[in-house]
Amino acid sequence: MASVELSGLAKRYGAVEVIRGLNLSVADGSFCALLGPSGCGKSTMLRMIAGLESVSQGQIHIGDRDVTHIEPAKRGVAMVFQNYALYPHLTVAQNITFSMSLAGQSKAKQAEAAARVAKILQLEPLLARRPAELSGGQRQRVAIGRALVRDPEVFLFDEPLSNLDALLRGQMRLELARLHADLGRTMVYVTHDQVEAMTLADKIVVLDKGKISQAGAPLDLYNHPANRFVAGFIGSPSMNFMSGVARSTDHGLQVSLGAAVITLPARGPVADDSAVDLGVRPEDVILTNPGDGVINGRVAVVEALGNTTFVHVDTEFGQVNVESATALHLGAGTQVGLGFAQDKMHVFDANGLALPKI
Amino acid sequence: MTDMIVTPARRFDAGAILLTLLTVIAAGIWFFPVYWGIVTSLRYDDQTVTDFALLPQDPTFKNYIFAIRNSNLPIWYLNSTIVSVGVTFLAVFMGACTGFAISQLNFPGRKALWWMILASFMVPVSALIVNHFIIIADAKLLNTHLGIILPMLITPVTVIVYKQFFDGLPKEFREAAVMDGATEFQLFFRVFIPMNWGVTTALAIITFIGAWNSFLWPFLAAQDELMMTVTVGITAVQDTFGVAYGRVLAGAVLAGLPVATAYLLFQRRVTQAITLSAGIKG
Repeated sequence: MASVELSGLAKRYGAVEVIRGLNLSVADGSFCALLGPSGCGKSTMLRMIAGLESVSQGQIHIGDRDVTHIEPAKRGVAMVFQNYALYPHLTVAQNITFSMSLAGQSKAKQAEAAARVAKILQLEPLLARRPAELSGGQRQRVAIGRALVRDPEVFLFDEPLSNLDALLRGQMRLELARLHADLGRTMVYVTHDQVEAMTLADKIVVLDKGKISQAGAPLDLYNHPANRFVAGFIGSPSMNFMSGVARSTDHGLQVSLGAAVITLPARGPVADDSAVDLGVRPEDVILTNPGDGVINGRVAVVEALGNTTFVHVDTEFGQVNVESATALHLGAGTQVGLGFAQDKMHVFDANGLALPKI
Repeated sequence: MTDMIVTPARRFDAGAILLTLLTVIAAGIWFFPVYWGIVTSLRYDDQTVTDFALLPQDPTFKNYIFAIRNSNLPIWYLNSTIVSVGVTFLAVFMGACTGFAISQLNFPGRKALWWMILASFMVPVSALIVNHFIIIADAKLLNTHLGIILPMLITPVTVIVYKQFFDGLPKEFREAAVMDGATEFQLFFRVFIPMNWGVTTALAIITFIGAWNSFLWPFLAAQDELMMTVTVGITAVQDTFGVAYGRVLAGAVLAGLPVATAYLLFQRRVTQAITLSAGIKG
C-alpha cells in the first residue's frame, strides 16, 4: 500500500503545456477520482503516474519512492485501460497471468494466481475462453484481474466503464467499490462521468485546462464549489446560473435579478454594484404560481423519470432547470413562478470564483 | 378471406448481367490456354497436333512419367522448395522485424530508413539484376541456394504491410504489456506477431508463390543444371525433349502444381494478402 504525491508536475508537448505545475496528494488506501471534461489533461496525468508519459517537470512519489524516472513495470502500479487491452490470442487465464508469464514464472504458479483472481472477480467459469467470447462487463473484469494479479501498491483506472452500457456501468461501479473496500489499495480513477466520481471516490480532483480547479471530498465539491467551473461540472442536471448585480448591506448580500431583489447571507468581499452570477441547483429551485416566486417563466419541457421530474423553464435569465417530485401535472407552455432556497444559493464573482460566506 | 401470394418483384439489371457475361468470357479466354496445356500433356505425341477435341480421346500419363524420368525434375523441385521456403521465412521474418522497428521503436534515422524503403519501389528489380549478379559472383555464391535466395529477400512490400498493421494496433496493447514488464523482444514475439498471425500467414503464402514462380534471377544465378529451380529447369526440358509438346507441357504442369495447390488450399488468405498489398503495389 502506498500514497501518491505529485509535486510541481508539468507536461509539455513543444510549446503546448497540457499539465501545468500540479500538486496533489492521494492518501494511502484512498480512492481518488480525476474528473474533468475531454482534453483537461486527466488521462495524461494518470499516464504520467503510470510511467507511460515522460514528465517535463516536477516529481512523482509512490510511497516513499521517487518514481519520476522509473520504468512503468517497476513503479508498483497496475493500470486498467478504457478499451480493456486484452490480448485476443490469449485465453482469460493467460491474459490474467501475462505479467507472470513474461517474468518466466512457473505454469503452476500462474494457474494458482489465475484461480485466486478468478475467484475474487467471479471469472472461474470463463478462464478457458478468449476475449472475443466475453461480454463487455466480463472483459472489464478480466482487465481488472490482470491488474490484480500483479498485487500493485496503486491501481490506475483510465475511464474503465465508459465502453459499457448504462446498466452494466452501474453494476461495475458497485463491483469496483466492493473491490476497493476489500483490497484497501490506493486507486486513482480517471473519468469524465461525475456520477462515477461522486459514487466511487473519497476524493475528487476536478481538472480544467491542465490545472486543478478544486480537490476535495465529493459532497464538499457539491455543496461548496470553489468556482463556477466546478459548480457547473459537478451535479446532474448541472447548476443553474443567473446574472445579477450585487451590493453588500447590513442585512447581507443583496443581488438584483432584473426587478427582483434577493437577500442572501453576507458574502464577500464584493464591491457595490458588481456583476455576479447566482448559482442554484435544480433541487433548490421551488415551483410556485406565477408572481409568487422570485422570477417568472414558462415551462419548455417536462421530463418525468418516475421517482422525480425535471422541468425546464424558460426565463428572462436563460433556461432554469427544476427538479421536483410534484410537477407531473405541468405541461409545456404553462406559466410558473420560481423561488429559490436562498441559504443554498451560490454567488460567483466576475472571475468565476465563489464568494464565501462571511 | 382472400389468400394473397406475395412474390418478390424480380428486377432485371441488364448492366449486371452484361458485366457477369463479360467476366465469364474473360475468365474463359484466360483459362483456355491453361486447360489446353493440361489436355495436351495428357495426349500421345502424335496426337498433339492432330487431335483438337476438347477432351483427349485416349488420355495417358506417359508424358509425365517421361518428364520425371528424363529430367532433373525431382532435384529442381527440391531446389525450388529450399529457395521458396528460405525466401518465405527470411523475407517475412525480416519484414516483420523491420516493420516493428519502424513502427514502434524510436531510433536515429528511423524516418530516413522508412523513406528509403518507400523509395526502393521506384527501382525495378530487373534494373538491379546486373549489380546483384556481380555481388553474388564476387561473393562466390553463384550456383548456391544462398546465392539464389539473398537478392530475393528485397521485399519492401512486406515491411510496409507489417508497419501499417503495427501502426494500426491500439497503443493500449503495447502499453499494457509494458506495464506488465515486457521487453521489446517480448512485445514483438508475444504481442505484435501473435496478434497479426493472419497477416503473417497471408504474406507468407504470397511470398512463397512469388518465390516459387520467380524466373529471371534464379535463371541467372543457377547455371549448373543441378542447382536450377523448377521454373528455370523446365526451360531446359525443351532442349532435352526436342519438339515434344506433350512432354514440355507435362513439365510445365508439374512445375506449376505446388503453387496451384497452395493457392487452392489457402485461397482466402491469398486474396487477403493481395488486398493488403494492392494499395501499396499500385
